[in-house]
Amino acid sequence: MTLGRSSYRTAIVGGGIVGLFTAYHLAKAGAGPILIVDRGFLSGGASGRNGGGVRQQWETRATVRLAREAVAVYRRFGREFGYNPWFRQSGYLFVAESSTELARLTTVHDLVRSEGLGSELLKPDAIAAKVPGIASGSLVGGTYLRSDGVLYPFPAIWGVYEAVRALGVEVAFGVDAVGVETKDGRVAGLRTSAGSVVTPTVVNAAGGWSGDFSRRAGLAVPNVATRHEILATESLKPFLDPMVVRVSDGLYFSQTVHGEIVGGLTIPHPSGTASGLPSSSEFLRRMARALVKLLPGLAGLGVLRAWSGFYDDTPDGLPVIGEDPRLPGFVHANGFGGHGFMLAPASSARVARAVLGEPTGLDPALFAPARFSAPGAAAAPERLQLG
Amino acid sequence: MGGPSTTKVRYRDRVVEVRPGETLLAALSRRGLPILERSARYRRPRGPFCGIGQCTGCLVRVNDRPLVRACRHNPADGDVVANESGWPSVRFDLFGAVDLLTPGGLDPFRGFRRPGFLVPLYQRVVRRLSGYGRYSVEVIPSAPGPVPIYRSTDIAIIGAGTSGRAAAERLVSLGARPLLLDRAPGSAAPDGAERIGNASVSMLTPPTPDGPREFSLLGFVENGGGFSVRARTVVVATGGYDGPLLFAGNDRPGVVTADLVLGLTPDQERSWFRRAALVGGGPRAREVLDRLGQKVAAVIAPGEVRPEVVRAASDLDIPIYPRSLILAAQGRKRIRRLELAARGQGPHFSLACDGVVLAHRRLPNSSLLFQGGVEMEWRAGTGAYYPTVEPAGRTSVPGLYAIGEVAGVGRADARASGERVADAIAPRSVTAAAPAEALPRVPRDGPSELEGYYRELLGERRSGRWVACRCEDVLLDDVERAHRAGYRGIEVLKRHTSLGAGLCQGRYCLPDALLLLAIREERPPSEVGYIRQRPPVYPTPLAALASLDPTGPAERP
Repeated sequence: MTLGRSSYRTAIVGGGIVGLFTAYHLAKAGAGPILIVDRGFLSGGASGRNGGGVRQQWETRATVRLAREAVAVYRRFGREFGYNPWFRQSGYLFVAESSTELARLTTVHDLVRSEGLGSELLKPDAIAAKVPGIASGSLVGGTYLRSDGVLYPFPAIWGVYEAVRALGVEVAFGVDAVGVETKDGRVAGLRTSAGSVVTPTVVNAAGGWSGDFSRRAGLAVPNVATRHEILATESLKPFLDPMVVRVSDGLYFSQTVHGEIVGGLTIPHPSGTASGLPSSSEFLRRMARALVKLLPGLAGLGVLRAWSGFYDDTPDGLPVIGEDPRLPGFVHANGFGGHGFMLAPASSARVARAVLGEPTGLDPALFAPARFSAPGAAAAPERLQLG
Repeated sequence: MGGPSTTKVRYRDRVVEVRPGETLLAALSRRGLPILERSARYRRPRGPFCGIGQCTGCLVRVNDRPLVRACRHNPADGDVVANESGWPSVRFDLFGAVDLLTPGGLDPFRGFRRPGFLVPLYQRVVRRLSGYGRYSVEVIPSAPGPVPIYRSTDIAIIGAGTSGRAAAERLVSLGARPLLLDRAPGSAAPDGAERIGNASVSMLTPPTPDGPREFSLLGFVENGGGFSVRARTVVVATGGYDGPLLFAGNDRPGVVTADLVLGLTPDQERSWFRRAALVGGGPRAREVLDRLGQKVAAVIAPGEVRPEVVRAASDLDIPIYPRSLILAAQGRKRIRRLELAARGQGPHFSLACDGVVLAHRRLPNSSLLFQGGVEMEWRAGTGAYYPTVEPAGRTSVPGLYAIGEVAGVGRADARASGERVADAIAPRSVTAAAPAEALPRVPRDGPSELEGYYRELLGERRSGRWVACRCEDVLLDDVERAHRAGYRGIEVLKRHTSLGAGLCQGRYCLPDALLLLAIREERPPSEVGYIRQRPPVYPTPLAALASLDPTGPAERP
């Protein structure tokens, strides 16, 4: 594998949805030539491993706004990018099993409504009407936002991938980003397994591997890769419209256009990328038990496949967007905590602005890389890291 | 009138009697090859294909269980059996019009995008059409619920075919007490060994440095609970299966594998085929010839035909067409005719037949080995991946052995393969003679015969549906289109086309897809990559998984 040029205006590490959308915005702004390198294959990282949920229910106002913008992009995606991601806006349903959980959801509900989105508080019988056959006995209530939804991640990737290639972006898969070259304290180039290139800007959009790459560039960052597991079942005729998320244990599931039930459940695994992406028998058992208990009608259905992917977690649950003040030219677009696919269409426009040296329009206390080292009170964290 | 011991099931509007030991498929198809379902995308009529519980050709609904493989189901008296697809019926499905109305294929990820206001309507329609089984909230809670099985053993053998059984017998004679896990029903095991029948191993987890020091096997018993087995040593003897072949109409009812034919009951054998085209010129074709006899219309081989097959066919006055391209199967609900051409730009000709039996290529059933992280190597002889093994069957994963057909060992040496592994792993050490010569295996190098065949075939003008992936109705054209759009490598192709995403877990599409990509990408098949085999390797009922203790008890006391 050899790279097409020796010098680029921007080099992006990571060819997932975040890197691709960032390249898209940069290329449309005429800021080429642009290079994307990715250690794996197209859709091989979390962009091709997520459950396809897109929601606007969050605990922080800034995230709600980004998500609302992303929803607008996914709504018109089919017409703009030539691929149909089957974005189906049939809602996200959070369910609570205790009054504490419900109080938490109610706070989210109030915030989401104050942003003009039609969140609804549901009683257990209303939940049962939305999820046929749900064992609603243990539920005390929930929140539902109809304009949230689910999509197929793959066609979304193909759409942006083909768009950036048409705009002249070079996308190199199977190429590992080894480190950055610096000169006078700022980025001067990117070192890769396919050789070094000259570039004044490197964007770290490496998802689960972004902590590793920042550290390869000599930057201490708090990003931690955590492995999450997910499964898909055999396909059924449509019976389930919303994405269902249980607050207590993070159980989530939805039904794809094709009919599979796709969902996951959080069980703790050692952090870091070193152990790879195996699936565990414990996950299969726990997930099956949780699903069958909540939806007994699924008992006879077969699990078709299970896989896992990395979340790129930050201490406050918010992404890291913007140039690193310690190394000018090094721009972060990471830390999405398993929600990159939901936010990338909106956040990537801001990353592009950061690359172009324009104000991102984002609150630095919430998103800037410097926030972890800044003294003083931390901003409100985002803890609704479910589904 | 049957006595109290007769089993009767209801299928659509009739009552079907099931003879002792019969599968549901056998009972439903005693009078001829049945059409039990419609395909996922084009709603094409589909019949049984593999006969060994791996494909999606005989999915039915049994009581409240969706997507039951009729060929694996042992019916209980009173079972209510229904088709999962087809309206008003599976034989006459109005939605079958989709197949006729979309001659150029249907790309679900490119179409249905405009105009914007119609998108929600498209979604409703497409969702309804593409879903497969039916969800029922009226579940009869199966009290007391499926019973889980836990075992802890020194040696587990997966597969009780010739090699697995030979290993078990030898191990018993050497004082060990192995556990045999086998997909076939029945409980016969060598004295001193335990056997769990109807058992599909779905997941194999090797020991980890910081985890348990044993292998963990997770799976389910057909129509029963889950099982969890811990074993210090695991012998994979999962055998092989008959591979697919690409041609127009290769998904039509009547196109079946040799596995299916060799498992037919006498009733089925009488009624399913009168003149079948037999594809293949090797030992497997010979087996089919011995079974079907005069019912074989012709022997057609992509490559050469072995002398013993020539002899057997000639004795029966059956014509032989070596080195032939199979271009198309004609007929909709049943094969009527096969279009052929002699290789090397030879003349086109056709053959009347009512079935096509694929016996041209045996493939290793290697999913568990992939999934268990074993080092695999490409072997051009069959065009497939096999584990890298030492003569006794030792793989790259300590404690994990592969023997018999899954390791590329021929049928004649299957017993020896099993005995050798037993000698190597038996607790009571065998006074080892000189290290054994390696058993002959599938050739590693040399030209891949089928790759050459496909290279030639792709040069032919194509029409009709060339179904690259039966489960998801992915066509050869879809694969070619993805290639032209710049998508490279089997992993990306799988995600781009949905090929391999269906219920057969890729067994009946990836082997050919690897060869096709090798040709299109102009690199050896071994460089096209292979699919990371995700667990479970067989679709595993949620109820069976849920029956197991979620944290996993200490199965060894």
